[in-house]
Amino acid sequence: MTTAIEFDEKLVDTLRSITTIGIHNAVRGFSGLLGHKLEFGDPDVKVVPLTQIPMMVGGPENEAVGIYLRAEGDFNAQIMMILPLEKAFQLVDLLMEQPEGSTTFLGSLERSALGEVGNMTGTFFMNAVANALKREIRPTPPAVMVDMVGAILDIIVATTGGVSDQVLLIQTCFKDGSRSVLTDFWVIPDAQSLQALRQVEKRE
Amino acid sequence: MKEPISVNLGEVVVSSDPADVLVAYGLGSCLGITMVDRQRHICGLLHAVLPHRLNGADPYCAKYVDSGIEGLLDAMLKAGADRRNLIIRMVGGANMLTTAGLSKTFDVGTRNIESAHETLQRLNLPLHAEETGGHSGRTVRVYVATGRVTVRVVGGVEKDL
Repeated sequence: MTTAIEFDEKLVDTLRSITTIGIHNAVRGFSGLLGHKLEFGDPDVKVVPLTQIPMMVGGPENEAVGIYLRAEGDFNAQIMMILPLEKAFQLVDLLMEQPEGSTTFLGSLERSALGEVGNMTGTFFMNAVANALKREIRPTPPAVMVDMVGAILDIIVATTGGVSDQVLLIQTCFKDGSRSVLTDFWVIPDAQSLQALRQVEKRE
Repeated sequence: MKEPISVNLGEVVVSSDPADVLVAYGLGSCLGITMVDRQRHICGLLHAVLPHRLNGADPYCAKYVDSGIEGLLDAMLKAGADRRNLIIRMVGGANMLTTAGLSKTFDVGTRNIESAHETLQRLNLPLHAEETGGHSGRTVRVYVATGRVTVRVVGGVEKDL
């Protein structure tokens, strides 16, 4: 049986507050990893149709980097971060403290750095959700892929295909001094897990 | 020059206008299935997402490989194509996740390919060529004027299929 996923304003608000806590946790984690303070802007949370995503990242044939992980346990969701290739290069430079423009391709080191971004951001997000729900959530290791946007999105489309045409978009900005990279995360909770979030909403 | 017609997720487009180019961008686990009737200059492209039609969905629903192929065939015949002329090709069905532990649960690509083979066999339609599987996204184009079908992977050039 499939249940349509519907996002209403209240649910988005709940997710926004959980996400903000999660992102703030991630900032601390990242800063610790880098040895200097990294900042994030407050996340912008909105609901977008799945079909609009390719256009937001430069068209379905555009080359991009996808970082994907899943939350498993009492709460199931998929987390996907998609960056146009150029932005991914900038983010690697920022993380590895290199001058902008140093990274021109993604080798295993660069992929690993990007995987770590997905890993930490995803994990901190999940921790915030787990705390809010008082449930146990485990992240899977991140998968990093470089391919056409459309092909990367097929992972989400194929797993939500019959259920949802809308996904939750979280936009946040990585900042290091004057340099900043805007990143987009897509969080796709399964229908049952969304019910759990609605319970939080009621408690508040 | 006319803009190519983008065939999006869960869509079928059939055209007999020689100026048209049908294109499904960035197919990952999705399947692009093309039907070409060269004699009558009619071409069609399906962009299917999942292997099997769910109960209650339209019998020609293009979201699913099985019903999508039936829908594409129906649209081709309605446009005047002759079933005996149809050249059928298939592109996509990649497994995008190669990380251990994630890939198996999600191998929709392989199941899409299997579903297409089963459906074509059931409908007694021969498959002319395919470029499927692997771990890369692909873009498929159909040039209505010539019936030419091409495939492109990221960073690569367009190649005839």
